[in-house]
Amino acid sequence: MTTTTTPPGTGLGTSGSRLGAPGFGRLVRAEWTKLRSVPRWGLIMLAAVGLTILVSLLSASGSSFQANLVAPPPTGPEGGQVTDTFRFVHQPLSGDGTITARVRGLAAIEGPNHPWAKAGIMVKDGTTPGARYAAMLFTPGHGVRWQTNFVVDEAGSIASGEPWLRLTRTGDTVTGYESTDGTDWREAGSVELTGLPATAEVGIFVASPPSDRVERQFNGTSVTSRPTWSTARFDNVGVRPASGQQPATWTDEAIGMVEQAKPNAPGAGRVAPVAPDAPAGLDGPGVPPAALLSGVPDATGASTVTGTGDVAPRAVDEDLTRMSLSGALIGLMPIVALGALFITAEYRRGMIRTTFAASPRRGRVVLAKAVVVAGVTFAVGLVTCVTAFLVTQPSQRDSGFVPPLFPDRSLTDWPVARAVLGTALVLALVAVFSLALGAILRRSAGAITVVVLLMVLPQMVAGALPLTAARWMMRLLPSAGFSIQQTNPRYEHVSTVCLPETGCMPDSPWLGVAVLAGYVVVAVAAACWLVRRRDA
Amino acid sequence: MTARAEWTKLRTLPSTAWLLLALVVATVVFSALSVSAVDIARCPSPTECFEDTTRVSLWGVRVAQLAVVVLAVLAVTNEYASGLIGTTLAANPRRGTVLAAKAGVVTALVLAAAVPGVLGSLLVGRMILPGNGFSAANGYPPPSLLDEPTLRAVIGTVLYLGLVALLAVGVGTALRDTAGAIVAVLVLLYTAPVLVQLIGDPKWQHRLEKAAPMTSGLAVQATTALERQPIGPWAGLGVLAIWAGAALLAGALLFRYRDA
Repeated sequence: MTTTTTPPGTGLGTSGSRLGAPGFGRLVRAEWTKLRSVPRWGLIMLAAVGLTILVSLLSASGSSFQANLVAPPPTGPEGGQVTDTFRFVHQPLSGDGTITARVRGLAAIEGPNHPWAKAGIMVKDGTTPGARYAAMLFTPGHGVRWQTNFVVDEAGSIASGEPWLRLTRTGDTVTGYESTDGTDWREAGSVELTGLPATAEVGIFVASPPSDRVERQFNGTSVTSRPTWSTARFDNVGVRPASGQQPATWTDEAIGMVEQAKPNAPGAGRVAPVAPDAPAGLDGPGVPPAALLSGVPDATGASTVTGTGDVAPRAVDEDLTRMSLSGALIGLMPIVALGALFITAEYRRGMIRTTFAASPRRGRVVLAKAVVVAGVTFAVGLVTCVTAFLVTQPSQRDSGFVPPLFPDRSLTDWPVARAVLGTALVLALVAVFSLALGAILRRSAGAITVVVLLMVLPQMVAGALPLTAARWMMRLLPSAGFSIQQTNPRYEHVSTVCLPETGCMPDSPWLGVAVLAGYVVVAVAAACWLVRRRDA
Repeated sequence: MTARAEWTKLRTLPSTAWLLLALVVATVVFSALSVSAVDIARCPSPTECFEDTTRVSLWGVRVAQLAVVVLAVLAVTNEYASGLIGTTLAANPRRGTVLAAKAGVVTALVLAAAVPGVLGSLLVGRMILPGNGFSAANGYPPPSLLDEPTLRAVIGTVLYLGLVALLAVGVGTALRDTAGAIVAVLVLLYTAPVLVQLIGDPKWQHRLEKAAPMTSGLAVQATTALERQPIGPWAGLGVLAIWAGAALLAGALLFRYRDA
């Protein structure tokens, strides 16, 4: 039996490279040897690690939160923290049945309408804040919506006018319908509320979220949030139990409110509902007169209800994970230096000619360098980010970010893991970006300045630009990659204030990384093309 | 004579002229950007804007100082990269004099370019601000060199750029490496302003702004509400001077006792 063996060192290697040109694997190994054998680059990496952790720690211990001033929010059926404050005119419904109402108008008592003010009908598992529910509602800014359990929000087909709304309960399933005329009904959504008790509360409700006023001055930003009150008129309000029983009597209740006596009000002894975070003095602007405080439907089913608050996921401004990783913004500067030096040092010392002589396919040299520098920065960045996340936790707790307002987070939660992995990825991408610019400019000073300018400066400049301009800048420049550090979920149906100068990125996590990756791909392509075209 | 040699070396580098031009242009352009961004329409009422118009007009140096850092670092590290430093020290073995001459020439050049940049920014501010409602009628007289606080801000900003140059020369001499020195100076300068925006506690913000070179040094630009600044105008510039002095001292000691 004969076997043919290929003598070592002749002809095609396993990587299928051309004769005389080393395979890509060997190129990568050569670049890795170069990287690890320069002690100074190890020091640069150490500087990046140290800076990231140090700045993250500073940022964690330099922030504070007075947890005792805010009552712990209720938790929704889906687990997250929710706001559940609204005016609910309700009655118990035993077993299956239907509630119908027409919204004749919804307007703020004072000032412009809040786009997400809500007037509609609801089936709720009792009146405890945070209990599961299904609702059909009308909003001034977004038309008819089908919302359940705080997080689900779907648009209906009616955008304005005086819509008819209906909810039907069949077993655990609640289905929402909308209609323009009360005869022709269209299904808007359906949900199974598992464990809904036999007797649920059904009724009409009004909520009016606080309005945020942003004052951005050149030297600082202030956001003031004040409660709004909206009044809705309903008619044709009717509850029809499937059993054919007579509907029960109505109860008018402010859900999730701190009941507080309103001093000096006409009709003394009346109680005005106050949102938990409303200021103590209740005679301020926007508070409804006592006459509007009863909303029980009359014999014809007409009713006027005034409410404040919101039924939605709670918007959290502080992103503790982002805070834990904020040091990466400074720690990336040494990494920028490393990426640029990895090729400019070769140009400086003439080593690049040896490199290109050994591997005439120059584009592949750049790619091999990119692979090595990306791999190393990702690995180092990952260790750094995990460390930064872990060591900042105690300082954050000392600074007042404690449960239940800020639940404990762990590296196994996906948003946290995404932020940690993503930050390491951003660092690796920045290193490659810097390497590519180093190959294009062949000067470390130029490459470093450009990358730092594009990555760090937007954060500084943002506060000095008008909000729209600042948001576009954060979207379009490579620094958009830092949106991967955001872990707070965002909901379309909750208006939040997102200010770029406080680190809030307008885009979703992965979209931001995609923008950065786009810059990297273009820069690497340009670098490959230029090194082939130019003399070394 | 040493100064003259240093002047010749710096003058004949093409990058020097470009960087000085970049300093002037970036100062004016970024200042113009910031004055266009402030608008009286976004304030509660015209008289309640509380904008420091002089400070806004001189905002561009925050970005333009990058050019100063690169210029000053390159003036030192380029010689190490090309090996010219050996020749320089053979021609003049008194290293203290060499470093002093280098620092002097770089700073003089930066100051010379800073003057038109800063004055140009002020001029642009005077042209744009009234259009955004910051007129004398609303209580915002155009920034003028005849006002003592504005004059202080202008002179202070020019000196600020000079001190940044000295800081960069010091760090460049100590590290001898272009990339390392540029990054080190940028980290020193930009960490504080970025960090201040990320941390929430005003007490910590003030501590940081007081101690960090850029935020304290730029306190000299304030012309109104001085009591709310983290540090007084000249005292802030003094903090930056201490940073620059410490960097120069470290550079000088290393330069003196280390082989080139």
